Amino acid sequence: MNSAWVTAHSPVLTKSLAIFIRSAAVTLAVAWSAYGAESLPRQIDGWIAAKAGAQAIAPQADDAEFLRRAWLDFAGDIPGAGQVRAFLADGSADKRARLIGELIDAPRFAERLADALNVMLMERRGDDAEWRAYLVESCRARKPWNVMAREILSPDYLDAKQRGAGFFTTKRLNKVGQQTVDYPGLTRDAARMFLGVDLQCAQCHNHLTVKGYKQADFNGLFVAFQNATLQKAVDAHATPWVSEGAVSARYDFVSVLTGVKGQTGPRVPFGEELAIPDLKGDDQWEVKPDKKTKQPGTPKFRPLREIAVRVATKDNPWFVRNIANRVWWLLMGRGLVEPLDLHHAANPPSHPELLDLLASELVAHDFDLRWLIRELALTQTYQRSSRLPAGVKPAPEELFAVAKERPLSAEQLARAFLHATGEWDRVSANPKASVSDDAKRYALGDLEAAFRAAFANAPKEPELTVNPTLCSALFLRNGEHVLWALKPRAGNLVERLAALPDAAQVADELYLSILTRLPADDERAEIAALLEKNAADRPRAIGRCAWALLSSAEFFSNH
Amino acid sequence: MSRRHFLGASAGALALGGLLSRAAAEEMRKREKQVLFVWLDGGISQLESWDPKPNTTFGGPFRSIPTSVPGVHFSELMPRLAKQMHRLCVVRSLSTKDNAHSSGVERIQRGDPKTRGVPYPYFGSAVAKLMGAGASQLPPYVWIKPGSGGFKPEEAGFLGPKYGALAFGDGQPPENLLRHPSLTAEEDDERNELRARLNARFAAHRAPAFTEANSYVFDTARELMKRAEIFDTTKLPAADVERYGRHDLGQHLLIARRMLEAGVRFVKVTSYGWDTHGDNFNGHASLVPKFDQAFSAILEDLAATGQLDHTLVIAMSEFGRTPRVNGHAGRDHFPEAWSLAMAGCGVRKGVVVGETNEQGTWVKSDGYDIGSLFHTWFAALGIDSVGDEYENNGQPLPIAHEEMNPIKEALA
Repeated sequence: MNSAWVTAHSPVLTKSLAIFIRSAAVTLAVAWSAYGAESLPRQIDGWIAAKAGAQAIAPQADDAEFLRRAWLDFAGDIPGAGQVRAFLADGSADKRARLIGELIDAPRFAERLADALNVMLMERRGDDAEWRAYLVESCRARKPWNVMAREILSPDYLDAKQRGAGFFTTKRLNKVGQQTVDYPGLTRDAARMFLGVDLQCAQCHNHLTVKGYKQADFNGLFVAFQNATLQKAVDAHATPWVSEGAVSARYDFVSVLTGVKGQTGPRVPFGEELAIPDLKGDDQWEVKPDKKTKQPGTPKFRPLREIAVRVATKDNPWFVRNIANRVWWLLMGRGLVEPLDLHHAANPPSHPELLDLLASELVAHDFDLRWLIRELALTQTYQRSSRLPAGVKPAPEELFAVAKERPLSAEQLARAFLHATGEWDRVSANPKASVSDDAKRYALGDLEAAFRAAFANAPKEPELTVNPTLCSALFLRNGEHVLWALKPRAGNLVERLAALPDAAQVADELYLSILTRLPADDERAEIAALLEKNAADRPRAIGRCAWALLSSAEFFSNH
Repeated sequence: MSRRHFLGASAGALALGGLLSRAAAEEMRKREKQVLFVWLDGGISQLESWDPKPNTTFGGPFRSIPTSVPGVHFSELMPRLAKQMHRLCVVRSLSTKDNAHSSGVERIQRGDPKTRGVPYPYFGSAVAKLMGAGASQLPPYVWIKPGSGGFKPEEAGFLGPKYGALAFGDGQPPENLLRHPSLTAEEDDERNELRARLNARFAAHRAPAFTEANSYVFDTARELMKRAEIFDTTKLPAADVERYGRHDLGQHLLIARRMLEAGVRFVKVTSYGWDTHGDNFNGHASLVPKFDQAFSAILEDLAATGQLDHTLVIAMSEFGRTPRVNGHAGRDHFPEAWSLAMAGCGVRKGVVVGETNEQGTWVKSDGYDIGSLFHTWFAALGIDSVGDEYENNGQPLPIAHEEMNPIKEALA
């Protein structure tokens, strides 16, 4: 379907016509894809336009807005002033597609995707070098998501390339103080992250409001996780790891509401229960546990390994829809299913056919997340402006008629801040911070940690949005890190701009370097007036202007 | 005036901003209800404080002394508080469930609601949510404590980090509170005004939520920075410093008084080290007099200014201590029968609620769990503890244990 046609005509569409067009879109999409005529991005835009109907849709973002969005999403950073000028001056028709290609094919993309996956999967529980290396390397190698998910749920801990994946589990099984190990929490998170279902309420009884979430669904998964034990890093194991015990009987549970008893063996939620092999005593073990050496042994039947294989497969529609929805969320700021971890029959996607399309295409492309991200980036839906034309009422978010503003993560902020202030090179080249040497005041790790402390969500809070806090406002206003970067120093932003004779030039460079756009005339005049008023101390005045831009909602927003 | 009515009125006043005179705003602020919550972490012994049992098997070495209310006696370790009894409401019939610190502290401060699979807010976060910051615009929940400070989002539970505690570690203000020495006030204002103009332009034609959230925290930061003198512990009046006592609890309660005066909605003050499994009697002989001095000083001060009439004051622990003395001359954790003290807003004066048996081993009257106390405190603050509910992802949740009730005898 020609999406431009829908956009042009949608204001006059009747409901039945819209339905006709939607069903026509299915037929045509099938027909066209058979001939390779209708690209996936155009099909996506078709579904979005069909549902938006008469709703006014925001125009495409201008070049500057698009450039900043693409950099933040695919490089986790902002472009330099020179790069902004070059992109704005480029008159070629395919420059957006080329930019997307360049950013996504650059090595930095794997790190950015790893950052996003880390925040999603660990919810700020902490960092680990092997975990990060695993994510970055997997993203770089375009490892299919089903393989990654399988490795994250049940890695081969003796394989140096895989063991980092175990941090998802080992961190959650780590006992803190007098608290008991939170096996139900781990079970819950595995289902949330990989299947898009929050089964927490179904631990003790069938879910009260979600019909399909049964107590057996939680407990089938719980059986496998509860059977896992955290082991220390000793001998052949370079990292903490997880052993599995022998399971010989099904697990009993009782509903706290009805008293009805149930039983289950290991089972993927909504799937088939696994038969527990009829093995007794020594027969249960592939490698017997050794009390003397405290080796936990390896059972022949490993529920967690079996579950991991059955969770992460193209044959599990929950698994496929979950990741399609989460990647959509990553680029659009809102899932087709919301909340992201509440997929069920009574909570359908805003665009059911679209989610099905993304899911089947992702399977057809062997769970290649980079491929899906590129396709989404090429849609008009992704490239819309976040500004509504004057006089137009905001549409419900689920229509995707306007680009949604998304807060920058602490990682994006730290990098963007250092590049904007012209301190990236100095800080990233500095191996160790030195309080006495102004030029070596901070190393990259210190700044990243300070930004995380000020801007990241609290541990265990899903970081679906980042709420500004008093802590972050005080950090910006009075924090040493921020003010340090705004003092004139060889080659940094303030020093460079202080040398420019013309106030309009200063304004242009400030806006290009920090907000990835040129200032409007009144904004140029505003900066000029401030510089004139503070002519006696121009570098400090420029520092304050830069601070205002860096602290603004615009800088903090991927808009 | 009902709480809703009052909240509505003050929210309206805030929205009008400049239309309300400073004096009127100050007047309104002075009528707002506040809370002082003193937490004696580890468990103060009821027998060495509010519920002495001299000359009994487990009574210990200390005598009891009469108080300002005839017939009511305290431990001799609390001579100053004995003179405040006519302002206090002492509950001697607490009977709670958890005897472990790790879970007990949380359970008590969250009001031990029925398990719903979500973490409930601590009392301070609950009040911050239900009553808001009020006219002062200062952070609604401040926590003064020894050790580390900073932003403590976890106490807010499912209410979200916005309602967490702003902690003053060792009484010191949070990091970055004071204007950076390299900036003058004029320079700071200039850059903030530029930021505000940028935000206004950016918000035009966009959904307002994003920019509003950004501006809100900057505005709160500005209010907090303006009042930085409240938090400057080097400028405490010398006479008060002596009167409250030169120890953590004394100084921290003095800072708490200044914060309450400035209009902070809820101030928690924590004192650590009450877990006297060994050498209980020397331990309490050292700790209780400090509490006696500081807590009586702040009660006197709040009463003298009339502030006590709208300030709910509570002093308690996560549990009491066993009557039985262990082999290390210590007392262990005892949730079965213990005491707390309250005063001020909405609370009856000069009464003792409930009683324990002769040896202090169980509660003779009705025992009260923490859920009843939450109902009582909410009632004292004018909050409908049954009708008002939280909302968490569309699920309505009661603000206090739905099978418990307020302690009527404790309410004025």
